[in-house]
Amino acid sequence: MTSVNHRWPRWLRPGWGWLSLPALLLGWIVVASRFPAYVLPPPWDVAAEGWRWLQQGKLGEQLWASLGRELAGFVAATIAAMAVGTLAGLYKGFRDFVTPLNGLFMAIPPVAWAPLTLIIFGIGNLAIIVVIFIAAVFPMTTTIQEGVAAIQIGAIRAARTLGANRRQLLWHVYLPASLPALTAALRIGFSQAWRALVAAEMIGASRGIGWMVAMGGQVGNSAQVLLGIALIGVMAWLAESLLFRRLDQHYQAWRPS
Amino acid sequence: MLPAQPKAPMPTLAAAQPSQFAVENVDFAYPGHAVFRGLSLRAQPGEFLVLLGPSGCGKTTLLNLLAGFMAPASGRVLLDDSPVRPEHPALGYVFQSPQLFPWLSALENVRFGLRMAGRGSEAEQRALAIEHLALVGLADAADKLPHQLSGGMQQRVALARTLALQPGVLLMDEPFAALDAITRIKLNEETLRIWSQLRQTVVFITHDIDEALFLADRILVLAPAPGGIAAEFDIALPRPRAAATRQLAQFAHYRQQVSACIADLQLQPLAA
Ligand SMILES: Nc1ncnc2c1ncn2[C@@H]1O[C@H](COP(=O)(O)OP(=O)(O)OP(=O)(O)O)[C@@H](O)[C@H]1O
Ligand SMILES: [Mg+2]
Repeated sequence: MTSVNHRWPRWLRPGWGWLSLPALLLGWIVVASRFPAYVLPPPWDVAAEGWRWLQQGKLGEQLWASLGRELAGFVAATIAAMAVGTLAGLYKGFRDFVTPLNGLFMAIPPVAWAPLTLIIFGIGNLAIIVVIFIAAVFPMTTTIQEGVAAIQIGAIRAARTLGANRRQLLWHVYLPASLPALTAALRIGFSQAWRALVAAEMIGASRGIGWMVAMGGQVGNSAQVLLGIALIGVMAWLAESLLFRRLDQHYQAWRPS
Repeated sequence: MLPAQPKAPMPTLAAAQPSQFAVENVDFAYPGHAVFRGLSLRAQPGEFLVLLGPSGCGKTTLLNLLAGFMAPASGRVLLDDSPVRPEHPALGYVFQSPQLFPWLSALENVRFGLRMAGRGSEAEQRALAIEHLALVGLADAADKLPHQLSGGMQQRVALARTLALQPGVLLMDEPFAALDAITRIKLNEETLRIWSQLRQTVVFITHDIDEALFLADRILVLAPAPGGIAAEFDIALPRPRAAATRQLAQFAHYRQQVSACIADLQLQPLAA
């Protein structure tokens, strides 16, 4: 490790990355200047719109509604994917059975399920949470399953000749060896769930960021649409850079090459 | 109240009780591919036995049978007169690649077996692990993760990890084959130095004739599959052995004998 830049966390260090957001804003301003503000509003109009929502106390409500659904669907998908993915990783027969199903469901865009879940569960949180669950669970299962299956027979054999019994193998070899796959799965699952959440809310919700975007479109309020889009991006970026990327990087270090 | 549990004794860096190995009339085949037919061999306590054979003749297969990872179709593999299994406390295995646990430091890798067996306190385990890292010249690397070590260093940590449990027999599957020639010669000398200190039984596999001659008390040449032992050589080179050993006329003489034997084997038509 070099001694330069030691005082700064990596994401604060100077670099080209710092130019991308200003460049985006500049491009937005330039393009927006060619349209009337009610068609494509400039950034400050969107900021003003945000301020209005905030003052009316309605912004937090949308955020919490979306985050609550996201967490419910994501946590449920994580639990299911850990159970199925671990078993499929350990037992080849089960893996062969699960893999085609996984592939099939991953090929279907999760929002396509929204009309069906709305019919089955009615309008409300549950229908949306089920869509989120579907969006996250299949890629997470695949990632965990591959991670567990890739645990090398060599590491298992080494542990056995060092005297580890079955329970010790699970706890001291399988678990730590599958942590990199698990953190990768969390990262993928969260972002897939988030995309699906917004899409589902646009179809069948009366609150949430997705609803906010859809409503903005219906009443012709471009600033509200862009505000919603900006929030979607910022929330995803925060989760990614503050939580999941760090987790992932921590475990990447000892992932065998 | 429960009676006080007798604590497993804490080993120290001392001579292990050398084990003996017996392979009796073993047949083994992979589906559609017979590897051994009627194979028998013995490793005497404290002996440095080298199995020599060309790539693909079944060396790794034999070692996996010796460790109990696979069971022979017929015949028996006995370690100190009882059927072998991988968890046998007298058994140590150094693999073809280091197989360190990438999430554990060098020290924790070496401590792993002691921890699984619950031998001694944590402090005692760490002290013993450090001692074994020092034995392979890596006391300074105790806190490094495996990916921060070179291939040769990793293989030495793997050796220390196996030695820390004081196995009576050490199975080594071409442990230095992936390393460069200079490192390999150095680690061969180191292996002999450690062996002269600890005196376990060693079953060492290689396809390198010079490596075999330098290390062995006895060399068994494996025949191409399906087969068994093709020839046996007692290597009476003086110990301790060092770089000069390779210059001895006797060394050249043995090399010529073993090479001729292997060349003969390659020429023979494969048995049906
Ligand atoms: N899992 C397996 N299934 C079927 N055949 C196998 C399997 N493993 C090895 N073989 C075959 O058995 C023979 C012996 O393999 P083995 O790995 O024991 O050879 P080796 O002497 O260790 O070779 P090398 O020096 O290349 O490591 C080879 O011909 C190989 O193709
Ligand atoms: Mg081999």
